[in-house]
Amino acid sequence: MTETYLNDTVINANGTLCSRSVSYPIEASAIRKWAMAAYWPEPAPEKFMNAEYAPEDFDAFAWGPASYESLLDGDDGSVIVRHGINERALGFPDWKFRAGLNGGMNCTYGVRMNVGDVITDVKSVGEYTERQGRMGLMLITQSISTWTNQNGELVKRTINSGIRY
Amino acid sequence: MTVKVGDELPTFTRETGFANWNRYAAVNDEFVPIHMDDAAGEAAGNGGAFGMGNLQWAYLHNMLRNWVGEGGEILSIEVQFRSPNVKGQTVTAKGVVTAVDGDVISLDVWTEQQEGTKLAPGSAKVKMGK
Repeated sequence: MTETYLNDTVINANGTLCSRSVSYPIEASAIRKWAMAAYWPEPAPEKFMNAEYAPEDFDAFAWGPASYESLLDGDDGSVIVRHGINERALGFPDWKFRAGLNGGMNCTYGVRMNVGDVITDVKSVGEYTERQGRMGLMLITQSISTWTNQNGELVKRTINSGIRY
Repeated sequence: MTVKVGDELPTFTRETGFANWNRYAAVNDEFVPIHMDDAAGEAAGNGGAFGMGNLQWAYLHNMLRNWVGEGGEILSIEVQFRSPNVKGQTVTAKGVVTAVDGDVISLDVWTEQQEGTKLAPGSAKVKMGK
């Protein structure tokens, strides 16, 4: 049984920049489809069908970035990363988990996303903690995602909390 | 509109299941087995497939966006995904005003299922539109 997931390497990684991704330009059709799914089966608001701007929760990277750059030494891009955090390149233990869940999200918004915007996402390591749950010892991880647009304006800063056990 | 502590927001409600989740997976590339396959959801300890936290996140945004109106803004929001959204549930996004500071409104927000169990509790700050 795992007694702890946390060691000094994991704890001290808090704040480490991991990756920089750049989106494809946001398309009107992507905004439209996103809104249709989020409001289905009722119609989405006209402002989204007309793509006047994107919903705050729209993911400009949902179907992959136009470019991706790891900011970690030793990251050759061969590992599938979790929320942009390459734990192997960070030197974390080679954990084995039965399941992973979305624990929560915390987001602060800046300017809106519009058609044609190109978003840059810089991901960094947040706090790693653990606690006992009904499924055993759970590792709770934070990844921080900071989005800016082509003008360098903050679009949003999101802290994603993942739970693995 | 005059806003005061205790005001309840108009709710946003959807019946949920594969029809919602598959559509959302298609725009968010979220084809994760726990959301697609009952066996995978059961193995994760939830009795079957369950919906995306991101979709509840979207429902909360839909509720807030509708309330703040044109020119309004969602400034921040945080939620914890406490209980799974399983098939057949009716999920309702709700909110109540907890503080008013000039034009910035603080709220408790959450999603709940048809029996009142909270699925994703949290809080938000918004700025009202015209």
